[in-house]
Amino acid sequence: MSLVAEPSTRSSRRRRLPTGMRAKLFAYALVAPVVLLILGLVAYPFFFAIYVSFTDQVVGSVGKFIGFANFVYLSKSATFTAAIWNTVIIVLVSDGLKLVIGLGLALLVHQAIPGRGLFRSFLMLPWAMPAFVAFLTWRVLYQPIGGGINLVLTNTGIYPHVVDWLGQRQTAMGSVIAASVWRGFPFWFISILAALQSVPKDLYEAAHIDGANAWQRFWVVTVPGIRQVVIVTTLLSSIWTANGFEHVWLLTAGGPSDATMVFPVLAYFGMQTQRVGEAAAVSVAMLPILAILVIFATSLMMRDED
Amino acid sequence: MDDKPNSAARGWTRRRVLGTAASSLAIAAAGSFAMPAIAQSKKLTYWGGLIFSDEANKLLTDTINAWGAANGVATEVVMINQNETVQKVSAAVSSNTMPDALDLGLDLLLLLSRQDQFITLDDLYKKIGDAQGGWFEGTDKATDTTADAGGRTGIPFGVNGNLLLRRKDLLEPAGFTEAPKTWDDLVAQAVAVNKSPVSGLGLALSNVGDANVQVNVLQSYGGRIADDAGKKVTIKSEETRAYLTWLKDAWDKGIFPPGNTTWDGAGDNQAYLSGQAAFIANTGSVGIAAKKDDPELYDGSAFSPLPAGPKGTISPITPQTRAITKNSGAQDEAKALLEHLAQPEFMNAYFNVAIYGPVLKSQEKLSAFDGTNPILAGLLNLAKAGTAPAYPDVYNAAWADLSSNFIIPKMCQRVVVDGWDFDKAMDEAQTQGQIIYDKY
Repeated sequence: MSLVAEPSTRSSRRRRLPTGMRAKLFAYALVAPVVLLILGLVAYPFFFAIYVSFTDQVVGSVGKFIGFANFVYLSKSATFTAAIWNTVIIVLVSDGLKLVIGLGLALLVHQAIPGRGLFRSFLMLPWAMPAFVAFLTWRVLYQPIGGGINLVLTNTGIYPHVVDWLGQRQTAMGSVIAASVWRGFPFWFISILAALQSVPKDLYEAAHIDGANAWQRFWVVTVPGIRQVVIVTTLLSSIWTANGFEHVWLLTAGGPSDATMVFPVLAYFGMQTQRVGEAAAVSVAMLPILAILVIFATSLMMRDED
Repeated sequence: MDDKPNSAARGWTRRRVLGTAASSLAIAAAGSFAMPAIAQSKKLTYWGGLIFSDEANKLLTDTINAWGAANGVATEVVMINQNETVQKVSAAVSSNTMPDALDLGLDLLLLLSRQDQFITLDDLYKKIGDAQGGWFEGTDKATDTTADAGGRTGIPFGVNGNLLLRRKDLLEPAGFTEAPKTWDDLVAQAVAVNKSPVSGLGLALSNVGDANVQVNVLQSYGGRIADDAGKKVTIKSEETRAYLTWLKDAWDKGIFPPGNTTWDGAGDNQAYLSGQAAFIANTGSVGIAAKKDDPELYDGSAFSPLPAGPKGTISPITPQTRAITKNSGAQDEAKALLEHLAQPEFMNAYFNVAIYGPVLKSQEKLSAFDGTNPILAGLLNLAKAGTAPAYPDVYNAAWADLSSNFIIPKMCQRVVVDGWDFDKAMDEAQTQGQIIYDKY
């Protein structure tokens, strides 16, 4: 009896959950490991960093909760104020330049020109080069004595005096931005190029038949066609630039006189002082700026979808 | 039976997928926890401080491993870049994975001693000192952690500090056969040889540890960071103004190398080794590099103590120490290892390839310090006559914090980069310094 009855009992027990519900549960179970991983690897460190920023933790101790004391201390620091403005300037200027250069080159390479494939690969080289190598190379180029840029300027007579590109307030930020743009524009270039290739040719033909000139075709067909990609690229690139450490650290270490000090370098200095809570506060203080950026970009994308 | 396939046994059902996933997670979670100590064999992990000399790094590693082999102790030596010690120790403390013993500088020793991370080593300290003629006074005072940890937690093994390195091959033809005695002499000599591509005075003024030598110059002019209690910041003073006058005068003479306001830690090294600076203040690593890679430059160089200001010479020693962690399961073995590493035979060989001065009085008689090596001779002088860290200021956590924030080099940058007047630059340094001191 029992040999016959047991399977039917188990079967009736399984039927208690509706099929739809079981499918949902199964789906949740399948994604659960990934969700757990994300919680463990992303959410936990993120919220832990926020917590640490409200403590007086130093190396070797867990620290105690001190409210906003770290942020109050930072707000009094001239270096912190400099870091805010410098980070904003670097993000705005370098990403603006990356957009212009990336868009221009993408439009150029999108045309049917000889050696297009080779040209595309060549333009990706700065992006492929390790950041460490790229920025050390730029540092050598900027050297006042023996640096490539000064050699070219003085030997060609364009500018006869040696310029301390990284050592003067007037030129340090521009030099950092130039190196950052050189390294980062290929990402914009390839993203925009991919978007350009997805714009239907019919639209251009229709616009052409309607008598639109090149500028009008660009403004009415190209721009709407690549708009979404540009927004996403802006978002990603801005976050990477704002969080970027190597370009400033390897070129100027935030100097001279805090002229290029940015959040990540300031946070690194915080770690050097062994005050983990303060270092975390520097990083957390950057969140509102990035949050504004993300909200702005997201709202633009949602408006497009609407 | 064969007509109805047993899916649970042969196929991938939902239940089996879930079960497998759960089991995998459980195994992964279990694997992330440390195995009980009883299941592990006793092993001594040592974090050595990686220095510029490959020979010194290898000698330390080989000596520890040889000691382990001779004493039946499994050893693992990990050489840690000294610039990354703070980050690595921070992570190790948080994850409870500190090594059994490690090399560390005075700042970190004091900080971690306050956190009760190390065992006290008073007996070992006394034993080693008694056996080798006692400790040099500066080292003895600087490494005393009794007030913070209830006893000594570090065994010093070497001191370093800044020596003045000069191009005598350029200076002697210009009529300067002696090392500069004062900072004014230094500027005069630097001006005499300041001709492109050589800049006279290769001192860093950037956000880097090397630039904190400016604190020593400031103090030699009578300036102070804080009062005797180590609480109230006193940067703004007539003495600091006198120091800034000296600095601005030197800057206006054009004797600093271009780029020195953004140099990294290797900036002065590279400037000297590439023949672009006639003077630098350095721990001696540049001398070792020159001896190996550019013997001609080495032969044309000379070493001397830092010059004096109107109030005397400020030339602080920086002791390096070895400590044993409280969570070590091999504390007795680690103590024996530290005693072994203090033996004259090893230390003589180590001093010859490293860049440290002696800490024990009998080490003065080691062949390493017989005068044939000018760098080591300079470091011996530093060990005997160097000033205590921060002297005449109080060496405390606030001082270390202020130094790590480069308040004085930044004051210099305000004057020479931004063209601020002295009062404005001093006011900012005073305010920023007091904000730091107020935290403690």
